Amino acid sequence: MKVETTVNSNYTVVAIAGEIDMYSSPQLRDTLLQLVKNKTATVIVNLKDVKYIDSSGIATFVEALKKMLSYKGKLKMAQVPDRLMEIFNFSKLDKVFEIFGKIEDAANS
Amino acid sequence: MNDPIVISVPSHPKFLSVIRAAALVAAEVSGMGTEAAEDIKHAVDEACSNVIKYAYKCDSTRTITVKFEDSQYTFQVKIEDTGCKARLEDIKVRELDEIRPGGLGIHFIKKAFNSVVFDKRKRNGNRLILTRFKNRHEPVISQQK
Repeated sequence: MKVETTVNSNYTVVAIAGEIDMYSSPQLRDTLLQLVKNKTATVIVNLKDVKYIDSSGIATFVEALKKMLSYKGKLKMAQVPDRLMEIFNFSKLDKVFEIFGKIEDAANS
Repeated sequence: MNDPIVISVPSHPKFLSVIRAAALVAAEVSGMGTEAAEDIKHAVDEACSNVIKYAYKCDSTRTITVKFEDSQYTFQVKIEDTGCKARLEDIKVRELDEIRPGGLGIHFIKKAFNSVVFDKRKRNGNRLILTRFKNRHEPVISQQK
């Protein structure tokens, strides 16, 4: 898994590529919790190149979201592949996360 | 697929990708469609993650053995370890509506398989038997065998 963080003026994009599982999710957690520590106002997670996510990956996003809500930060998902969307729907995360088709839409919302 | 496929990997999370790849291919070879094969891959991954977390308590030097068996009516996966005895009721689980980190793995396992049981005949360690009926109208079973 590769995680790339790009800081923009009003938001930060975390682009993930590969598989998010029990092995790789600690790396993702470190990235997200560093953004939480810095009280980043808006984080947009680009999931376009994610091939797989397991429950540890989902837990990582939920943990980050809960921490961000404590300072009114926003964690948004963008470009979610169909298979991941199925998993999000099944886990009812589609009701928790703001999900957008494009990064621009997430940035402008 | 008449003969079972058996793989053994060290209990390190980096080998979960190997198990996922094997599960996907085994499911496809048994005639599962794309969505079913992906569900099976996911379920087997979650079950093996549980072995690492609960049975081996994150000791990465142990072994996980996964056996895939295909028959006319079922696709079965047996996951064996030599770790601490596990019970389904001890595995962290949460309601899907209760949004908090953790506790989702068992839901993914039950989504893919009709039957999720630990084989009580195994004395040392655990043998989790996951069965998917090829006719999925069969009822879901989840109990100790």
